[in-house]
Amino acid sequence: MILLEVIPINEPATLQERRKYYREEWDVKKLPDFIKDHMEKREFGFDHLGKGPNDRYRIFRSLEYLKRFMRYKSPFAAYCSVAFYDKPFKRADWIKSELIFDVDAKDIPIRTCQCENVCEICLGEAKEIVSALIDTLKEDLGLKDIYIVYSGRGYHIRVLDETVMKMDSDIRAQILKYLVGSEVPRSEYSTKGDKYQLEHFSIPFGYPKVFTQRFKYAVLHLTPEIKLENISPALFKKVLNNKKYLLNNEWGLFRKNVGPINYKKLVKEISNLNMGLVDAKVSIDLKRILRLPTSLHSKVSMKCMEVKNIEKFDPFKEAVPKFVYERKD
Amino acid sequence: MIIMVSVAFLNPLSVEAEQIVRDMGDLSKIYEQNPDLIHAVDTSKSQTISDNQSIPKNYYELAIKRMEWYIKKKNDKNYNYKDYAFLFNPEISKFDVVAFFILAQAIGIKFNPNSRESKLFVDLQGSIIEERLEELSISERRNICGKILDELIQHDNIKWTFLEEILSSKKLSLHELILDNGDIILDKEDFLERFRDKITHRNPERMYELLIGDPVKELIMIKMIMQKTEDYIKKVNEMSQKVEPHPYLLEVGEKISKILSDNLRYYTTYQGEMKGFRLNPEAFPPCIKLTLNGVQSGNRNDAIVLLLTSFLSYSRLYPSIFRDNVSVKVSDVDPDLKITQNEILPLIYEAAQRCNPPLFDDDPQEKLNITAKLGFGVHEQPELKNEGESKWYTPMSCDKIKIHLPALCKPDKTCKKIGNPLSYYKTKSWQLSQQRKNKEQKSYNNKNPNNNKSKTYKSGDRAENSDPTKSGDDDSIGSDSH
Repeated sequence: MILLEVIPINEPATLQERRKYYREEWDVKKLPDFIKDHMEKREFGFDHLGKGPNDRYRIFRSLEYLKRFMRYKSPFAAYCSVAFYDKPFKRADWIKSELIFDVDAKDIPIRTCQCENVCEICLGEAKEIVSALIDTLKEDLGLKDIYIVYSGRGYHIRVLDETVMKMDSDIRAQILKYLVGSEVPRSEYSTKGDKYQLEHFSIPFGYPKVFTQRFKYAVLHLTPEIKLENISPALFKKVLNNKKYLLNNEWGLFRKNVGPINYKKLVKEISNLNMGLVDAKVSIDLKRILRLPTSLHSKVSMKCMEVKNIEKFDPFKEAVPKFVYERKD
Repeated sequence: MIIMVSVAFLNPLSVEAEQIVRDMGDLSKIYEQNPDLIHAVDTSKSQTISDNQSIPKNYYELAIKRMEWYIKKKNDKNYNYKDYAFLFNPEISKFDVVAFFILAQAIGIKFNPNSRESKLFVDLQGSIIEERLEELSISERRNICGKILDELIQHDNIKWTFLEEILSSKKLSLHELILDNGDIILDKEDFLERFRDKITHRNPERMYELLIGDPVKELIMIKMIMQKTEDYIKKVNEMSQKVEPHPYLLEVGEKISKILSDNLRYYTTYQGEMKGFRLNPEAFPPCIKLTLNGVQSGNRNDAIVLLLTSFLSYSRLYPSIFRDNVSVKVSDVDPDLKITQNEILPLIYEAAQRCNPPLFDDDPQEKLNITAKLGFGVHEQPELKNEGESKWYTPMSCDKIKIHLPALCKPDKTCKKIGNPLSYYKTKSWQLSQQRKNKEQKSYNNKNPNNNKSKTYKSGDRAENSDPTKSGDDDSIGSDSH
């Protein structure tokens, strides 16, 4: 919180500041390779006035053209498509699209900070969520070509494994649900005609494990100030009083104290909430444009940038453009 | 006598099945009486033999019986398993395989791969495998499923991405599978090797049986065969554009078309000619009302193309789709496409142009997508000759709207009881018609204070008397417009 108060970010960048950024600080060569490769197949879009990206269907055949454009226009915001097209200038002849997960700190369903916009706390929570999602992408789905981009108010996970890039929206929605834990896991199984009860936390692999992790994260981040729509105040109090058991993975005790029927209700509620961990629309949209890494998020005066090491990344150190420090002077 | 189940009995696209078809020779025999087939049917356990009509005597009749079985099982309350018991007798395997190919080829030639006929056939195949498995002992099931999967999956580890089409068609959900490092875990040894050390307080082998065991393997096997059936129909359809089809197959195609039309007339709630229903905008759900007013960029394309197009077409032409569970195509209700062209499309196009920025100014190709979502392929306008090139999309569920179009989801009181905008429309239409009737009744009673008898409604009002949330006739969307 301290840094936010000292450095006046979250204030929109002026045209002069944008010009300064694109002419003095921004370097086209720092565009991530995954953007530079086949850049001519992507559609670019720009917002010049801060009213939405209505300058669309642009293409750049070389880095030099993009460099000139950015220096000359100093746009309020710059975007490029997650899709590759044969005719990007018409948004036609779609080839493939990156698989995207957009974690916006201000939209996380359970935020301990309760701040109005974004702050260090919720950005930190977004980071935790991103790390968990990436673990699942790698460990369960076996995906490898994954990049993280700090968007200015959260993180974009960009997956470029060829095996997923041609997938349609329906399958992307399934991946999303698996990843965030928005499906209520089965608790009844049967074999040879006999039924057995097996809760998700007893299964240390596959989707039940993913759900267990997301459930634990959600419950441990609950604070008395948070309200859950379909959970009564009495049950919510019970959950808060017993959440300590989850710290030690004492799931049986937690479930017992909350009550098995209540536990079911809580599972349902959290699976619904989990859907809000990422912006689903971004993941299923094959033709979306996404903030261009290295460009300026002028609304909050922060740099959108690739994150090489999510554990160590501190947006308040690495994503603050120079002009913000000069503002203070 | 114990009969060993052959792979072909469950998978008509297996190598073994291909051999059976090759041995059969040409198609000239499909109408010839086949004593071996008759014998196999006659001696099937529990088979009705008193009625000669129940017994297929040649390949053609067997193929038709297959279709008939599925339609009756799905829709007919008086369906009798014994009339079709032969379909579950492994002795008919070789005849059944031929019947499968006759149907698949006839459908591929006569109909488009996304037509309701193709879909019904694929579903039939899934359903017949499920029932055939039910007839087997546990060890037989396990054995045959293992053999089929070995043939279908030719590498040790199957990646989840290998099932892309099945996942995309929602025949299977990703979370139903046990995944590890991109692999779908099916094999017991593999399961134990990967997870044994992680499992505490439980027997790992028992856990395998519960979590994966036979049900998941069978599910994957069935879905893969369904997918292969779909792919086969597509292949036949492509081939039929280049090669002159056999006249017998054209005849079978005609027969299938007739069976389905008759079935549609018989099993839908309409019990007569289908004409559609006049739209009642008052009963539209909030998401549709918002869409009709025009949508902002970002939600625009999905709102118009995916939500509004399917909602308006189904509510105007066939609002009972979810209840009847019968495949209907636009031309069943709107044979010359006049309703579609003069009523439905103008409403969609106007809403599209009310968007900000107007949808077609920005994305003129979305007109093609709208046609495609009505089931007429990617063309500028719907035309009968293109019907079935794509699916006639049903309106997306409320859950899906929350994901795709959260800005349009502004639930009201009625929304809490339903899961799809079309169900909202039917419920609300019924409520409104009840309100109107009560009002009319009140005014009638006021005008005729001595007559306490209720007003008798004419037969045309029949549909308005039932609650769509309850069973019974729920065609509550006003009278038809023709």
